Amino acid sequence: MVIVVGYAPGPPGEAALRRGAEEARLRGARLVVVNSSRGDALVDRRFAQAEDLEQVERTLAAAGVQWSLHQPVRGREASEEIVRAAHEARADLIVIGLRHRSPVGKLLMGSTAQSVLLDAECPVLAVKGER
Amino acid sequence: MTFLRGRAELGVAAFLALVGVVVLVDGLGLPTVSAAADPVGTRPMPLVVGTMLLVCAVFLAVDVVRGGRGEVEGGEDVDLDHPSDWRTVGLLLVAFVANIVLIDRLGFVISGAILFWGSCFALGSRHLVRDPLISVALSLGTFYGFYSGLGIHLPAGVLQGVL
Amino acid sequence: MDLGPLMEGFATAATPMNLLYATIGVILGTAVGVLPGIGPAMTVALLLPVTYSLPPTSALIMFAGVYYGGMYGGSTTSILLNTPGESSSVVTAIEGNLMAKRGRAAQALATAAIGSFVAGTIGTALLVACAPIVTKFAVSMGAPDYFAVMLLALLAVSAVLGSSRLRGFCSLGLGLAIGLIGLDRVSGQPRLTFGQAELADGIDIVVVAVAIFALGEALWVAAHLRRKAAQIIPVGQPWMGREDWKRSWKPWLRGTAYGFPFGALPAGGAEIPTFLSYITEKRLSKPRDEFGTGAIEGVAGPEAANNASAAGTLVPMLSLGLPTNATAAIMLAALTGFGIQPGPLLFQKEPQLVWGLIASLFIGNALLLLLNLPLAPAWAKLLQIPRPYLYAGILFFASLGAYAVNLQSFDLVLLLVFGLVGFMMRRFGLPILPLIIGVIIGPRIERQLRTALSVAGGDVSTLWSEPLAVGIYVIIAVLLLWPLLVRLLRRNPRRPRFKDA
Repeated sequence: MVIVVGYAPGPPGEAALRRGAEEARLRGARLVVVNSSRGDALVDRRFAQAEDLEQVERTLAAAGVQWSLHQPVRGREASEEIVRAAHEARADLIVIGLRHRSPVGKLLMGSTAQSVLLDAECPVLAVKGER
Repeated sequence: MTFLRGRAELGVAAFLALVGVVVLVDGLGLPTVSAAADPVGTRPMPLVVGTMLLVCAVFLAVDVVRGGRGEVEGGEDVDLDHPSDWRTVGLLLVAFVANIVLIDRLGFVISGAILFWGSCFALGSRHLVRDPLISVALSLGTFYGFYSGLGIHLPAGVLQGVL
Repeated sequence: MDLGPLMEGFATAATPMNLLYATIGVILGTAVGVLPGIGPAMTVALLLPVTYSLPPTSALIMFAGVYYGGMYGGSTTSILLNTPGESSSVVTAIEGNLMAKRGRAAQALATAAIGSFVAGTIGTALLVACAPIVTKFAVSMGAPDYFAVMLLALLAVSAVLGSSRLRGFCSLGLGLAIGLIGLDRVSGQPRLTFGQAELADGIDIVVVAVAIFALGEALWVAAHLRRKAAQIIPVGQPWMGREDWKRSWKPWLRGTAYGFPFGALPAGGAEIPTFLSYITEKRLSKPRDEFGTGAIEGVAGPEAANNASAAGTLVPMLSLGLPTNATAAIMLAALTGFGIQPGPLLFQKEPQLVWGLIASLFIGNALLLLLNLPLAPAWAKLLQIPRPYLYAGILFFASLGAYAVNLQSFDLVLLLVFGLVGFMMRRFGLPILPLIIGVIIGPRIERQLRTALSVAGGDVSTLWSEPLAVGIYVIIAVLLLWPLLVRLLRRNPRRPRFKDA
């Protein structure tokens, strides 16, 4: 059994990670953590660096689950990478975090969550970030 | 044919030779009238340059045949591990040519916006609302900026009278 | 030394309009320096068309601001980007980035900014001192001397820079050919115009510069866009402690001493002096050194060298009209476009322009220090702009600029053609600089040759009649024969061994 978690540094990503770890423990599944970047901008806040990854390691080690990390930088949107990873791993569940976006914000910046919900082949669990 | 593989630089040598020949032929066609005030005349420079290009072309061809390679230019944003992405370049050229063709007819605001948006698209940006908005804002902004700030009247084309 | 003209220069540079242009220039320059892939040369090329409706002094002040600003901005990126890779200030990145990772980013940024200011100011002061001397000397030069000096400049740029001399010469040849296009000024004969009326005036240097630098670069990067996602190392207000000041000031001075002369030499550039400065600081650092883990001397020296070399470049540019790097070449092209002849008579014919420019360099350096010291972390935020927008912007402004020169779409076709040439050159390793210098200097060297022979009534020996010219030809000969000499010298030591055996 495989669960894919869409991660980015920040409260929503961390919430998704924790929830994903919980689900994995419950179901006896392994986690595939996806943190991607288009690589368009030289500096991408949503791409996990060494310190963020240490935090991820600690969270997942505490949960005691099997996990692997993918950080593709291929010029594709995050939602596409998550759905692709789920397809390739034949995942049973995708877990993503939700950021609050106004309608105008969604129009201008896009919504990863919306795209994942619409394109995924398996159930999607959307978790709110902790304030 | 395998001899030619990887020797694309021979094309460069051919190009240089072609330019050299053109310069030489054009130079030879110049009259050799030389006044006392100008003993050198107009001919020598083209002849020298043309000969130089031909000599360089020959040397380059020899170097390429012997296996020499030009150093491909690197850079901060350049990733040379993969082969050239011709699709992107092609799309950029399409956007560029579109601008050339349309600028006088449709006006700068429209053709400039097409150029900008087309380039963004070619380079991978797929924000289908944000990009056209930025493109139009940019071309409108520069249109007015050039008009009022620099006094340069870019063509308004189809939108004449509206702007 | 007569400081009168310099004081008048300050009066020119301090007018509100020129201050505005200096500010715009340094802001643009810093922004461009921070962003990878875009450099001062490309920016000045893109600005060229815009500036033709400005007074020449203001335009040059802005360009100089861009030039100096680029040096300041580059150090911010190389220090703060956590995976520096190749950046314009590679050497600064070595120790600077290590310092940042150790939590000393504030000190690294401070020493870079202050060192740049010190070097820039000293360099400009040296410029003030040297340029009139060189000019006085240059005025006594005759056409044969000019011819020799220009020949040296052409050959130095082609034969010294870059990995392949042969390709340097190929580039030069292309540049000279492009420079030939148009009506010959003396006789009125059309050359390489193929009957096209638009080519009668020759190809506008703006179009060539924008095409080769901006369009060619954009197309090339588009074909090979590197996808990378890095982070900025967070930093607060840049500042330095007393200990840091003590360790920095000597490297600043040494760096300046390296940078200025190299900037003034043809094909000297900024890479060699920064590297030399780094090695020197490493050798001179005390045993308890931190080189390899973030030593402040390794940032202070190279940054000073960088900026001093920029000032040094202006010496031959202003006093002789010879460019030693791409940005200087384009600035000279701008002068030509304004109808101003670069060369030693520039100081005499356009004192207001030259001294206004030099004075604004002092002002610009001060502005840059103010902009960069407190605001460096803010500048780093620019790195979050997605590259598609940046390069689309380059294409947009390149087309805009080329079109605005004459409001003809024919220029856009030329832009495209030369852009493709620029792409081809980058693909096949033909260096860019010789081409641009060929386009700019080609017509001028031809004019000198014809003047020299015209004055001498057709007597070719006039070319080597002046001692300076002869001396330069000797240097040229050494330059060209250098590889052969090296090879011969390497063979000799072996012969005695065979004899012994």
